[in-house]
Amino acid sequence: MAEAKDKPKLAFYWAASCGGCEITITELGMRLIEVGEIVDIVFWPAILDFKYSDVETLSDSEIDVCFFNGAIRSSENEHIAHLLRRKSKVLIAFGSCAHEGCIPGLANLHNRESILMRVYETAPSLDDSQGTLPAMSNNVPEGTIELPTFYDHVKTLAQTVDVDYFVPGCPPVVEQVWNVFQTILTGTLPKKGAVIGADRLTNCDVCPRQKGQSGTRITEFKRPHEVDLDPDLCFLTQGVICCGPATRAGCGLPCIEGNMPCRGCYGPPDGVVDQGTKLLSAIAALIDTDDPKELQQIIDSIVDPTGTLYRFSLADSVLNDLKYRS
Amino acid sequence: MSHAPSPTSFADEVRAIPGGEHLEMCYACGTCVSKCMIQQKVEPDYNPRRLLRQVMMGMRDEAFSNPTTWLCSACDLCYEACPQEIHISTVIDAVKQLAVEAGHTSPIETVSVEESLCSGCGICVMVCPYEAPHLIEKELDGKQDRVSEVDANKCMGCGICVAACPLGAISRPGVSNDDVVPQIAIERQQDGIPTLLTFVCDWSLRAAEDVSILESYPPNVRIVHIPCTGRIDPQMALMALKSGIDGVLVCGCKPGECHYKRGTSVSDCKISVLNRILEQMNLNHGQIRFVQIGTQDRGHIRFEVDAMLKHLADSKEAH
Repeated sequence: MAEAKDKPKLAFYWAASCGGCEITITELGMRLIEVGEIVDIVFWPAILDFKYSDVETLSDSEIDVCFFNGAIRSSENEHIAHLLRRKSKVLIAFGSCAHEGCIPGLANLHNRESILMRVYETAPSLDDSQGTLPAMSNNVPEGTIELPTFYDHVKTLAQTVDVDYFVPGCPPVVEQVWNVFQTILTGTLPKKGAVIGADRLTNCDVCPRQKGQSGTRITEFKRPHEVDLDPDLCFLTQGVICCGPATRAGCGLPCIEGNMPCRGCYGPPDGVVDQGTKLLSAIAALIDTDDPKELQQIIDSIVDPTGTLYRFSLADSVLNDLKYRS
Repeated sequence: MSHAPSPTSFADEVRAIPGGEHLEMCYACGTCVSKCMIQQKVEPDYNPRRLLRQVMMGMRDEAFSNPTTWLCSACDLCYEACPQEIHISTVIDAVKQLAVEAGHTSPIETVSVEESLCSGCGICVMVCPYEAPHLIEKELDGKQDRVSEVDANKCMGCGICVAACPLGAISRPGVSNDDVVPQIAIERQQDGIPTLLTFVCDWSLRAAEDVSILESYPPNVRIVHIPCTGRIDPQMALMALKSGIDGVLVCGCKPGECHYKRGTSVSDCKISVLNRILEQMNLNHGQIRFVQIGTQDRGHIRFEVDAMLKHLADSKEAH
């Protein structure tokens, strides 16, 4: 067995995320044990007992590959992103949150003030809210403890530091995680900036459902729970928005096999800079009416267009750039 | 002795195709010609009345090489106007079917599919007003794959599929992303004059007069010609705003007057949803507008451009 100093050093970190990306790595099971034999894990707070100081004591670029999941939503997230960038040769935005903001990125529909007000003052689950906000600084017997700053909006990892590779998915599926590990361990990483652990085209390329015919049109958009969905037909032909046409393939279609439309977590394929409007461009062309009033009714049936079309990619969209450009 | 025409006459063949049966109701008044956008804009030789007459007179070769046979996009402006209520576009389509069977091909510049980029999603199949694309199975790089194939004799070149294709696999010279996107740029103007990108459906310019109106604006107004507003990709509108352009005006046709049947409704839907998305992001300041201009509204485009410029100037001042 090789000495720890000869093994490649790996780090894993989670910022603003749900923990699903960590779980997907542990889903490797025995294969993870095998990986553990040939690499040296120097930082993985979700699984092993590491402290930030362990990273700080490393030399710059000492970590060979860092898997960073989670979006950047607080000063702590940002601080660790910079720290891990400095300490890592290769930094991978791992999972949809780090890649494109994911569900935390939907916070960009709002702002810091309205989010805090909702959570601490107006949420219906609050019992007699006093509107008390968390204090940024607290004096306790051991000294003063500080909370990280909660930012006005969510940023992706690449909007914060230089990123080498992107692994999409909410979470990345376990077989793709294994592919990424093998790519790294065999030294076959592609050109910097590439999306790895995914395919080139979109989910429709691998989806076995029967596609629409000439003249298939939508007269009302429905949500999945409102329709008895035929498991053999393209969702769009059933009036249900499926993000598959503008979503990169690679997940193996677990949602579609479960008779649920693609929600878009693998992000846009190469060449698409704004997944939401690209998807809009495809589905809007399916509407069937010449009557402007009826057209508005059809559009009304798209509940929450931003949340539907940009569910995972809002923080990494042109739309987001428009809101937060300096 | 029978006086019935030979059952194999050219006119009989046309009549035998569904839609072609209206043929001989035509008494050649020419109302269709006066309504026709193609005749007015691109092809003075375009003449449905003459084509129908050629069919009735058995002039097969002349009918097959007549531009009317190939250029009709079935907008059906003539149908509404025809005193005999002849659905002229279906008669023309019957002639076109026979022409294709006889080995003639469409002179229209049609779209093409880059198969290595095609996912076979079938969006183009569904959105096409002319049933031109269809999915086929074929071997690509040693694997069986499903890709789109376009029937060049049915494609009218509207570009609705070019905008709808999520992978940019469909292109047509002059209409592709590579042609349109570079036009989305206006130099920043001095003294705060608003900049406006105007997408203009080539068929909504009812007369040369409208083109000259548009060309009379200073460089803060940029005109991008597209064959149909159905070609608009809302991604382009966002990219325009991101590049610093103050406003985007999309000028289409009135519903029912769209040269490509449904392009204007498609565009209306895209821009309406886009504005709802901007609303949700608290970004809707009326910077993206879709207007529909009627066939008879000559010169109206000036009012739309001026109104938009005024709106943009007012919001600049307010900020």
